[in-house]
Amino acid sequence: MSMFRAKKLDLGSFVNVKVIRDHTKRKVFAENEPERQALRYIIRNLALPQRTRVQAQLQLAQMHCYTRPTQIRNRCIEGGKGRGVLRDFKMTRYNFRLNALAGKLPGVKKASW
Amino acid sequence: MAVPRSRILDLMKVQCRIFSHTFNPEGQRLGNKVLRQRLKGPALASYYPRKMGTYKDLQKAYPEWEVINEEEEHRREMLKIIKARGKGAPKKKRTAEESKKFKNKKRAAERAAGTAT
Amino acid sequence: MASSTPIRLPWRLLTRAVGAAHPLIPSTHYIRTQQPISFQRPAISRNYSEATPPPEVENATPPSQPPQTLTENTPVSEGPPGPPRLPRAVQAVYLRPLRRQAEYGVPSCDLQLRSYSVRNLEFFCDFALRAAYYLGLPASGPVPLPRITERWTVPRASFVYKKSQENFERRTVRRLIQIKDGNPETVELWLAFLQKHAYYGIGMKANVFEFAKVGVGKNMDTEMEKMKDIVGKTWDRVGVATTVGTKLTAEEIIERVNTQNFRAATHGNAPLSKLPGSISR
Repeated sequence: MSMFRAKKLDLGSFVNVKVIRDHTKRKVFAENEPERQALRYIIRNLALPQRTRVQAQLQLAQMHCYTRPTQIRNRCIEGGKGRGVLRDFKMTRYNFRLNALAGKLPGVKKASW
Repeated sequence: MAVPRSRILDLMKVQCRIFSHTFNPEGQRLGNKVLRQRLKGPALASYYPRKMGTYKDLQKAYPEWEVINEEEEHRREMLKIIKARGKGAPKKKRTAEESKKFKNKKRAAERAAGTAT
Repeated sequence: MASSTPIRLPWRLLTRAVGAAHPLIPSTHYIRTQQPISFQRPAISRNYSEATPPPEVENATPPSQPPQTLTENTPVSEGPPGPPRLPRAVQAVYLRPLRRQAEYGVPSCDLQLRSYSVRNLEFFCDFALRAAYYLGLPASGPVPLPRITERWTVPRASFVYKKSQENFERRTVRRLIQIKDGNPETVELWLAFLQKHAYYGIGMKANVFEFAKVGVGKNMDTEMEKMKDIVGKTWDRVGVATTVGTKLTAEEIIERVNTQNFRAATHGNAPLSKLPGSISR
């Protein structure tokens, strides 16, 4: 992880060890995504010789775990929690409720119908 | 009546040329769906908001200007009220011994209870 | 409708077409509705000196009545010359927006407007229709698309107590304005005008349809080469307000933005501190 972590913190949201790690993973994934996609294509192309496909498989497996998109988790920007995060607001349910009642979320109001 | 296969293939080739599709009449798995996928790296990387200027930075940059941080002022006022009531944070224990006062009391109480029964 | 007691009609009734042409608007323009929006308006008069009103006004209607709801009975050229009338375009502002008729009805542009509140959306739709009229674009009026409601049910407490929850919702209101038989350049102008004078809280999405002859693909690449000079000039001026007199290029703006104080304050992350093409960590 230390080889990928930026020297200077560039996060404006709530800062947490886990948030830093997640942010680093996202940046690393964005940089290596074309390479990963190319390897995936080689693996899935049945017209290529089997040897190249197996080599591509090995290479993909040996890539650092930070390059994998599955390691990325949406975290709350106010509390850094990884569970109960709503995608539309990037916040946990409780933080969403606090901000909605304070009027900080445009268009969101208490529902009654 | 039946159309020869070669004619249909030619038609498909022309269609693919016009509409920029891939020509694959036998349906071989060539992994083109991976190539068609959109790259989602930049979208994921911009999830967390970047560091922007805060009140502290404004004060540092322009010290002669008076900058009022409302949230900070509100927090300080609430602290004053709580302290006036006597409900503020407890004093920091200097040495380890001061923090062990509670433990000794507990042990003494247990011993007393043990000897009594 | 009587002019003495203007009644506030509901929006639905005002959309019905009524009778003959309006005296204040020339009959060359086709008007779908002549029912004026009846609400109280101050007197449309120009008194150049407040102290002594001009002598002609005394013969006209006394100022106590609310005079100027525009009806068929408003005198146009009879009687003593009152205060000069406003320009037609200004008079038109007080009436419903005019529409041009489409000859063929071929859609040229679909503009969808979305907002969380209805009032400013309606106002902006009105503005867009008026702009389309003056540009000569036949626009078909704000069609209300189905409202989008997003709902979230969230526990009230920060920990446990799942049984007590709270419902929140966000309602997105939509309107569709379609332009038929529009010249593609004019449509682009119209869209650019709306973007320039965009109203707060409204999102816009436009689909523009253009017709070209067969063999467009071959010509597109050559045309792109020619366009690079023109596009480059506008690209250099990204972020510069056209009302500002100076002609700053993108580099100059970035220099100004990156002065020490500013950079320190924003930790190098201010908007437009780097050229759009470069993405760095």
